[in-house]
Amino acid sequence: MSDVEKKFVAGMDSDSRRTPVRVAFVTRRTSPHVKATDDPAVMTYPEGILRAVVAVQALAIALVVVSLIWDAPLEELADPMHTPNPAKAPWYFLGLQELLHYFPPVVAGVIIPGLVVAALIVIPYFNINIEAEGIWLKNRAKRLRVFGAVVVIFSAVMLLFQVYAVLIPTLLIAALMVLAARSAPDSPSSFRRWLVSKPVSYWVMTWFLVQAAVLTIIGTHFRGPGWSWVWPWRS
Amino acid sequence: MSQEGNVDSKPKPDDETTRREAFVKLGIGAACLAGAGAAVFGFEFLSPNVLYEASPIANAGKPDRYPAGSVTQDLKAGIYVIHGPEGFYSLSAVCTHLGCLTAWNADLGIIACPCHGSKFNELGEKIDGPAPRGLPWLRVWLSDEGDLMVDRSTTILLKQFLRT
Amino acid sequence: MAQTLKTYINGLQQTRAWRSVFRGGSGANNLRRAMAVQQNVFLHLASVKISRKSLSFRATWFLGTLSLGTFLILATTGILLMLYYHPSAPQAYADMKDLQFVVSAGVFLRNLHRWSAHAMVFLVFAHMFKVFYRGAYRPPREFNWVIGVILLIVTLLLSYTGYLLPWDQLAFWAITVGSNLMSSVPVLGEKLRFLMLGGNTVNANALLRFYVLHCVILPVAAALLLAIHFWRIRKDGGLYTGPGDSNE
Repeated sequence: MSDVEKKFVAGMDSDSRRTPVRVAFVTRRTSPHVKATDDPAVMTYPEGILRAVVAVQALAIALVVVSLIWDAPLEELADPMHTPNPAKAPWYFLGLQELLHYFPPVVAGVIIPGLVVAALIVIPYFNINIEAEGIWLKNRAKRLRVFGAVVVIFSAVMLLFQVYAVLIPTLLIAALMVLAARSAPDSPSSFRRWLVSKPVSYWVMTWFLVQAAVLTIIGTHFRGPGWSWVWPWRS
Repeated sequence: MSQEGNVDSKPKPDDETTRREAFVKLGIGAACLAGAGAAVFGFEFLSPNVLYEASPIANAGKPDRYPAGSVTQDLKAGIYVIHGPEGFYSLSAVCTHLGCLTAWNADLGIIACPCHGSKFNELGEKIDGPAPRGLPWLRVWLSDEGDLMVDRSTTILLKQFLRT
Repeated sequence: MAQTLKTYINGLQQTRAWRSVFRGGSGANNLRRAMAVQQNVFLHLASVKISRKSLSFRATWFLGTLSLGTFLILATTGILLMLYYHPSAPQAYADMKDLQFVVSAGVFLRNLHRWSAHAMVFLVFAHMFKVFYRGAYRPPREFNWVIGVILLIVTLLLSYTGYLLPWDQLAFWAITVGSNLMSSVPVLGEKLRFLMLGGNTVNANALLRFYVLHCVILPVAAALLLAIHFWRIRKDGGLYTGPGDSNE
């Protein structure tokens, strides 16, 4: 019993007249003691169900009020011989349409969305995202070098294509990351403590979120006829 | 009364499993074949064989309708009929960027696309904007009745002018 | 008065007829509360008991529930709108005008459908970001995250196919541009565009295909994926409850 290093090999015996017996070999130090939990289980009905019902009711009321006040748009009949100026996609695609202004359709329409979807799908399969440690808490110098190189090359490419809509948010996030790198886990400022604890997945996702929001806002409000730049408060 | 010879208590590893494996492989192969057939059928079904679309051949009328130096846009056909100094030619009015309909701007002397700001000159060459290439040249010829005919589905790579 | 009503209702609930329909029960005791979930065909995808922590608003902001709520609103309003809509050009546009001026509550239903659609896209994105920032995608929930991403794409496709149906200028040109983007896909692009539109341009075939996609194919796909998504939550040990989760 004390020899936990011994490896057990299970054998098979097809003599079915004997009562089958299952034996479990516990090869690690475990204890039958159950972890105490401060998270009791409650009945789904009524606790879970009623909360869900109330949430959906609140949503429905909000949507109904909006629907009673604001009308959905309807333009003139579709006319293949006349393109409206500008021809804008629905708001969730306007970020993409803004990217189309800078990059060819293959890149902005196929490659970038494809990469985004692929990147989203593989997130949970990378150990670094599961452990989710602060990015600067390990191998700080080496990571700073890699980070610096990536930011410089990416910004150079964006500058080359004059994609300021991507360049500026990228630099903003990079600045925050540098601030995080210069913070210590025992810093007196709670903001800097919080910043330094953020893992790489957090930074990448936040960059993506900010980027998507900026591009969508530009596509919605700052683009007019011919996809030219307009200041929304001037038109 | 035990049977002798053929019946053993242990299964023969090679014979029995090979036959089962063979049938499994046959089954999977048949299923794959059926799947491939279904895919081909499905693809053929989904691709319409008859299209209720306008014929790509456009009749632009008699050549003397177009004065020298004019750029006329036929909205319905989505083409420009241009009477240039070297002769007649036709450009597609569909922007090569993402398919919006371009428009001729007589004041500036350019063809412009409203969607993303692509600009083309009278020869269809790209001046500005995100369009990857110029507007395609379309095949032009004179019909037996002397009408200008344009084939929207055929682009010509070398600039050719139709002289009348 | 109230007492007699109560006794009457109680008596009704004891009848054989009533008990042949409603076998489970209300919330008189835990057994009946359990049966209310477990014996109900619509609810028994959920577990009988649920962790208290996962019910807090701070945990999930109820974004997943709200996304499902918008989906149900869209399905209901969508089916009702289908009764007055012909997916043929240009009749579709005339039907939109009908809904606006002729059909009772047509304006309201169409508005509700449109704004719920925008809300659903927004909520689904928000749900994804919330799940990400909580770390609720970590093992054993990786595959559920992948199913979620696929659901996101289905949501965007539903919104995109629905966009064409009013057959107005906005719809027509948005879809024209989108389909031209599709042809940028290397090798298969042109073929894919031809299949998607059922032709070379956005015309009657495209409208019909988008209609079938929007009303049948994509909702069925969404329903199946949703079933797997919810089933997976149960199999992964319930909703993620934070750093003290039992799966870590």
